[in-house]
Amino acid sequence: MAKAKSKTNTEDYLRMYRQMVRIRTFEDNANQLYLSAKMPGLTHMYSGEEAVAVGICEALTDDDRITSTHRGHGHCVAKGAEFKEMFCELLGKEEGYCRGKGGSMHIADQSHGNLGANAIVGGSMGIATGSALRAKLNGDDDVTVCFFGDGATAQGLMYEVMNMAALWKLPVIYACENNGYSEYTKTEEIAAGSITARAEAFGIEAFKIDGQDVLAVNDLTQKLVARCRKGEGPFFIELETYRYHGHHVGDINREYYRTKDEEKDWKSNRDPIIRFRAHLVSEGIATEEELDAMNAEVEQDAADAVAYAEAANYPDQSEVDMHVYAE
Amino acid sequence: MPHDVTMPQLGMAQDAGKIVSWLKSPGDAVAKGDALFEVETDKATMEVEAQADGYLTGVSASEGDDVPVGAVIARISDSADDDTPAPAPEPSEAPDATGTSDDLPEGHSVTMPQLGMAQDTGLLVSWHKSPGDEVAAADILFEVETDKSTMEVEAGRDGFLAATLAEAGEDVPVGNPVAIISDTAPATPVARAQSAATPPPAKPVPDNAKEPAPKSDKPASAPRPAAPAPRASGDRILASPKTRRLALEQGLDLARLAEASYPQPYHAADIETLRALPDPATAPQGAVAAARRLTAETTQDGLPDFFAWAAEAHGLTDADALLAGLAATSLATKGPVAVERFGPSKTFAIASRSLAQVTETEDTPVLLLRDLRASRLSAVDMGAEDTPVLTLMATGKGVSITLECAPAQMDAATAIQLITDFAGRVEDPIRHLL
Amino acid sequence: MREITLSQAVNEALAEEMRRDPTTFIIGEDVAEAGTPFKVLSGLVEEFGTDRVIDTPISEPGFMGLAVGAAMTGARPIVDLMFGDFIFLIMDQLCNQAAKIHYMSGGKLNVPLVLRTNMGATRRSAAQHSQSLQALVAHIPGLKVAMPSSAYEAKGLMKTAIRDNNPVVIFEDKLMYQDKAPVPEDEYLIPFGEANVKREGKDITLIATSSMVQVAEKAADMLAAEGIEAEVIDPRTIVPLDEETLLESVKKTSRAIVIDEGHQSYGVTAEIASRLNEKAFYHLDAPVLRMGAMDVPVPFSPALEDITVPTPEGVAENARKLCAGELIHAA
Repeated sequence: MAKAKSKTNTEDYLRMYRQMVRIRTFEDNANQLYLSAKMPGLTHMYSGEEAVAVGICEALTDDDRITSTHRGHGHCVAKGAEFKEMFCELLGKEEGYCRGKGGSMHIADQSHGNLGANAIVGGSMGIATGSALRAKLNGDDDVTVCFFGDGATAQGLMYEVMNMAALWKLPVIYACENNGYSEYTKTEEIAAGSITARAEAFGIEAFKIDGQDVLAVNDLTQKLVARCRKGEGPFFIELETYRYHGHHVGDINREYYRTKDEEKDWKSNRDPIIRFRAHLVSEGIATEEELDAMNAEVEQDAADAVAYAEAANYPDQSEVDMHVYAE
Repeated sequence: MPHDVTMPQLGMAQDAGKIVSWLKSPGDAVAKGDALFEVETDKATMEVEAQADGYLTGVSASEGDDVPVGAVIARISDSADDDTPAPAPEPSEAPDATGTSDDLPEGHSVTMPQLGMAQDTGLLVSWHKSPGDEVAAADILFEVETDKSTMEVEAGRDGFLAATLAEAGEDVPVGNPVAIISDTAPATPVARAQSAATPPPAKPVPDNAKEPAPKSDKPASAPRPAAPAPRASGDRILASPKTRRLALEQGLDLARLAEASYPQPYHAADIETLRALPDPATAPQGAVAAARRLTAETTQDGLPDFFAWAAEAHGLTDADALLAGLAATSLATKGPVAVERFGPSKTFAIASRSLAQVTETEDTPVLLLRDLRASRLSAVDMGAEDTPVLTLMATGKGVSITLECAPAQMDAATAIQLITDFAGRVEDPIRHLL
Repeated sequence: MREITLSQAVNEALAEEMRRDPTTFIIGEDVAEAGTPFKVLSGLVEEFGTDRVIDTPISEPGFMGLAVGAAMTGARPIVDLMFGDFIFLIMDQLCNQAAKIHYMSGGKLNVPLVLRTNMGATRRSAAQHSQSLQALVAHIPGLKVAMPSSAYEAKGLMKTAIRDNNPVVIFEDKLMYQDKAPVPEDEYLIPFGEANVKREGKDITLIATSSMVQVAEKAADMLAAEGIEAEVIDPRTIVPLDEETLLESVKKTSRAIVIDEGHQSYGVTAEIASRLNEKAFYHLDAPVLRMGAMDVPVPFSPALEDITVPTPEGVAENARKLCAGELIHAA
């Protein structure tokens, strides 16, 4: 665990803790909506990877952009989205971020710079790099972070766009969330050699970091974002993390690809929230009681948002052919 | 506030789960994350964790039960003695293929039969047997009415009428069970209305959420096409959609083009020709009009064999008389008919259907039969003459027959009837004798 | 009026719009100093610099993806895809991303980009550099598709495409780059979804796209000599499609042939013919015919390649049959 710098960071730390708890709570509620058959379709849980999204997004402003993945609720929350609009979107309601047209795998929240989750694995790498190209051409100083999983490193698009990003020094950070599994297959079975070495081959500075340590992730990202703004991008980060659930909700019989002991080990010994909580308490930044109160508050927010979304209206059928084309 | 414990949706296409075992007992204290019960789906067995802290209460599903996804099976309450029961889960299985469910007697189901081509339901008019009656396979079980008719439905097998699943007066969807016939006398025969049948459990939907309403501005039925229906006289007329529309708009009948032997398909330009055709209702008698020309072809020429047989068996040696007889009987007036073969012609009168009673006559013929089967002619287009003309020509193994006449000499129906009958007789003259 | 080539017309449209809107830029392979293999972009990098006329590596999905991201965040990229055949390489970025983002985001995100590429056989380039793939993209909701038939259309449609807030794919016929047509000096735009009646006639409507407009016009000349007056209509954009003008014409003439250089099966011609059938059925005096490229990969040998695409003679022959009331292909 990286050392807390000073008490002036208290606010930042508590916000990071709160954002991680918000993600975990959102996912617990989303999972319940699925389990109780109240949610159409299915979804991919971010639980376990909270420190990645929060550590990175807390280093960004609303002007900075991110692109997200099918496992994107965490990025969306971390980038500033509201529970109410997110749950509405998950349930296909008209007040959802995308008016119920995108669903779990396509939530976009432009007001906070989230260019959207993408259900094509690796599909947003071009978009993120293009956003960075626009920033450079316009002379804007925003940075774009491209979230993707270890599975997406097998897509050719990644190498095409990293090549161009490196050639043109674009302000983009490629954040590879290596949770150990490419769908139902161990990453070591789909990735030859080193993942960071692939970025390094293009001359991109690459880092490998513990994705369960929110402060470490945040520190590194802050430095890289600052360097991006100075024209020193792009960068590549491989974040070692773990997804607690299966590839998707409903992927319950997982023992053919990973053991329950392994899951238990990550949950008990490397949980990003438990670790950061212990740190906050031991450093005297917050008491157990204060943190419990914060958890309870977040849980209540989520319960209210779920109830709101369940009662919310579906979009009118007249909206079905709206937004095919922009005005 | 008590927290519902529901059967979770686990797999991607799973409707229900079987409770393998409860890992906690009613009244036990549970903590969030504790394993509550074990569920088996088609894929795997898995432990389901408590989602709240509290006490397990209101357990309403037992080990071994199949419970639909989303059904509440217990509660986690703030106190161990909360005795509000969770609602009993509905059975997850829809009635099985034999139409029985747990409170129905076992046996073979009799379903509402599909009677018409496009029939969805049948009205159960009356039962001929009562629940508990012994029935034989051929016994009438009940009566059904569709839009077309009323029909009696047989039991189909021997046994006992164990249950009736619809009442007289009810519309029953085709294929739905209406009765159960058991092999042994039922202990408690059942009589039930169809409307009492429970629908299969639907996926739960939050009842406070608005369901999308179906669009109401759809037309109730497809608009009827504006094209005129094809005429019943003869085959479908080939005409372009535009031609049909113009004909309809102008009150013209495309069949008249066909009757006047204009080649199909018809296009818009043919509407002008159609307009120029005399209206059969108003055309002045004797006015010069375009000729009718009808052509028929037979697959074989039955005449030579027929003539040989008539000569040998009956001593009828005048082929021309026989030919005239075959043609004359196709006419309402029965003749007289003239037969012409390369120039000279003879006219015949026929007294009855018998070909033995055909005699030569000096009367004016009403039909001229021009037999050109021995020529190399393959088609004629001579226009109308004083008398309608039937021309016979050889074509391959068969005979090509052309009827030409002025519209005033013969109306379309008569012309079609004549050539059709005559062609049939040429192809198979024996038919004439039947 | 002055006459300029289609290539010059495209170049002018790009230059004018890039001067007008600083958020526009061109991205693609060899677009800068090389000005593309067809030299359509010559001179632009000299005026706008390499920041706005950007040479990329040979990475079609990559630069297409970059354009989508830039468009989503405020730029108006003009993507240059060297050959229309390479559309298959960028399908995910074009069809799964660009076409759907506005809809999937509930209307919050826009993707205002232009993909300019080309089509057309008989350049002896064989099967991977000769295809006319407009039907593939026209099938995907969210994309607009323009098919200029001359220098005039090429300029006016390009300027409209650049100002449109949607992904627009423009197919230029690569055999027409040197064809000249009158193009006004003054600025003009051609709105999408407005067909152009190139020639009026009362006997048959020839609906043709891109270079097939020339084929239809030549066929109309031949037919005129025989007393058949053919109306020639260029839809100019196939998405959106100006159904109204097409239907009006077909209701007048009662006959139609639809000509497009894409493969005939499941193609642009089938779509247009089908709409005429659905909406003008009772005005049709003959079946609506489709004339597309043969359903074969484009062959290399001139002896083979030339017979794969519709010709004026073929169009005229079919038109004659329809006007004579011959039921073509009737059972």
